[in-house]
Amino acid sequence: MHMLSKIPKWNLGLILVLILEIIIFGLINPRFWNISILLNSFNDFIGIAIIGFFVTFVMITGGIDISGGSIIGLTSVVIGILSQVAGMNIWVAIILAILAAGLCGLLNGILIAYGRVQAMVVTLGGLLLYSGIAIVLIGISGVSAYEGISGFPESFSMIAYSTVLGIPSSILLFATLFIIAYVLLHLTKYGRYIFLTGINQDAADYAGINTKKVIASTYVLSGLSAGIAGTMLTSYLGSARAEFGSEYLMSILTVVVLGGTLITGGKGGIIGTALASIIVGFLQVGMQMGGISTQYIGLATGLLLIISVALLSISSSAKDNMKKLLGLKI
Amino acid sequence: MKEVNHMSIYKNLAKKREFRTLIFLAVIFIIVGFINTDFLTIGSIQNTLKSSLLFIVLVVGLTIVLLTGNIDISVGGTLGLSAAVCGLILKNGGSIFVSILAAIFIGAAIGLINGLGVTKLKISSFIMTLGMLEITRVIHVIYTNGQWVENLPAGFKQLSQMNVLGINVLLIIVLAGITAIHLFLTRSRKGRYFSAIGDNIDGAILLGVPVQRYVIYSFIASGVCAALAGLIFASQIGFISTNAGLGIEMTVIAAAVLGGVSLSGGVGTVIGATIGAVIMISINSALIYMKIPAFWNDAISGLLLIMIVVTDAVLSRRADKHIKKERLKARVLKEEVSVNHAHAK
Repeated sequence: MHMLSKIPKWNLGLILVLILEIIIFGLINPRFWNISILLNSFNDFIGIAIIGFFVTFVMITGGIDISGGSIIGLTSVVIGILSQVAGMNIWVAIILAILAAGLCGLLNGILIAYGRVQAMVVTLGGLLLYSGIAIVLIGISGVSAYEGISGFPESFSMIAYSTVLGIPSSILLFATLFIIAYVLLHLTKYGRYIFLTGINQDAADYAGINTKKVIASTYVLSGLSAGIAGTMLTSYLGSARAEFGSEYLMSILTVVVLGGTLITGGKGGIIGTALASIIVGFLQVGMQMGGISTQYIGLATGLLLIISVALLSISSSAKDNMKKLLGLKI
Repeated sequence: MKEVNHMSIYKNLAKKREFRTLIFLAVIFIIVGFINTDFLTIGSIQNTLKSSLLFIVLVVGLTIVLLTGNIDISVGGTLGLSAAVCGLILKNGGSIFVSILAAIFIGAAIGLINGLGVTKLKISSFIMTLGMLEITRVIHVIYTNGQWVENLPAGFKQLSQMNVLGINVLLIIVLAGITAIHLFLTRSRKGRYFSAIGDNIDGAILLGVPVQRYVIYSFIASGVCAALAGLIFASQIGFISTNAGLGIEMTVIAAAVLGGVSLSGGVGTVIGATIGAVIMISINSALIYMKIPAFWNDAISGLLLIMIVVTDAVLSRRADKHIKKERLKARVLKEEVSVNHAHAK
């Protein structure tokens, strides 16, 4: 009962916040209540949500991945160069680019799990390196860094703009990856291993779990998800640029932390991350529609990040105190 | 006997992380110097140092926070905001003294808020300062109406250009400051509290170190350093754009790590961090002297950072293993000796 009551309560709070948000923004601008506008707005934050799902994995193992944003830029540039400069088939280019993103994640994972270097340091190096490689690729290929690579075939932009039975593809992608992440983390043995590794790596090791493999794999997943996000963003914006995703770092971490995942590891969930990403995404859409200038959005996300973490830590320490008090009485 | 002493001094030096970083810096200079001798002229070296001043000041503040086992990502935001405030005061006819005081006050205030959030609200310092980074950026844009602060008075710009005996005055002041901070952090009782907290927080509490207070001090120090860096930025560049200091925090953290400061706290010196900052900037100017296009900058610094940190981790682990083996051997041998003694009896 205790185990069950803890996380869902946070999720319940998130649902409440989401409903409140929709009501408030709708009162400010009734256009916000238009379902098709809301559904289409998923395109604006799908990248944050997708990466957030798998950074949740990383954070539950006790690590952190701040390189996701720069992997988006790298994927975008690789797709652009392979298809537009090297003349490759667009779909092959996409697969290769997502594989490259997975390789970036693999490098992070190997250095962190097997090299035993701090995750923060490795992914910081990765952040510089991967966006650096993207800039170098742009520089070598002689494309103007300012304009980026454009002129993608029509079929490529259909990735972001097509609909199936009236549902935008971004929602389908969101749902698919949500289900994959949820099943992986909450319904499989692999997911249990991730939690165990985060709670106590030594104990997990002694229990016969190959914790290094588990840790490294979470970074690969996180890299792959950044690759998918990069593909989606490139298709949505119709051009490939090195600096895509460079401002995603804050939002990704906000989404994961607001979703109730502990930055110290061992606790968290995909539902929370999904709810939080919709909250943050709608917040940005709503503020734009409410006529609030875009520069204030950072203020709102920043405050949301700090307040949610403060609430999480206060509520957990309050609970601890309550337990102590109750324990004394009994 | 004397030689042995010398040897041990060398050995101790070689073991120090800062020394290895310094050698690395020297190697960069020698290699680039071979390719283009202009790189080794005093003028060029001083230019490199001058452009790294900003990063040096930032990294010193950050190091104090890192020593306590926390991190401060908000330095770039603090830099931009304090530079903008100082610039606007100057433009509206305020005195240089007031503008500098205002900037430092803002830096200290941001540091205080960070420190209170981390200690009282128990927010992880990474998250707290990341949020603060975003908030200070927005406040900066709102405060300046999204416009650049330009046309700073010549008197203020002159501050960073003054020379004594051909050496930049600011450079001398900063180097003297670093020496003082280094001595404070390593020699004085209170200065060592910072690394004590990062090394073993429970131990520090048991020893009576006022942990929360010193963590707050460290954030204030970092905020003030970021504000000072903002002043240097404003004075050196002469104008403040709305994205002044954007992304600078990553370079500064990388510099600290290069200089041997551990992100898990307790390990590192401001001198090492300073060398790390000089390396980061030297890479930039070395590329220029080697006529390599500037778009290689990030890739090369990222690769170097990863390589150095991984080598360091592997080396230190090997050293640890070696020490353990030696200890074990010493124990086993001693026992054998005592066993032999028993036999003799």
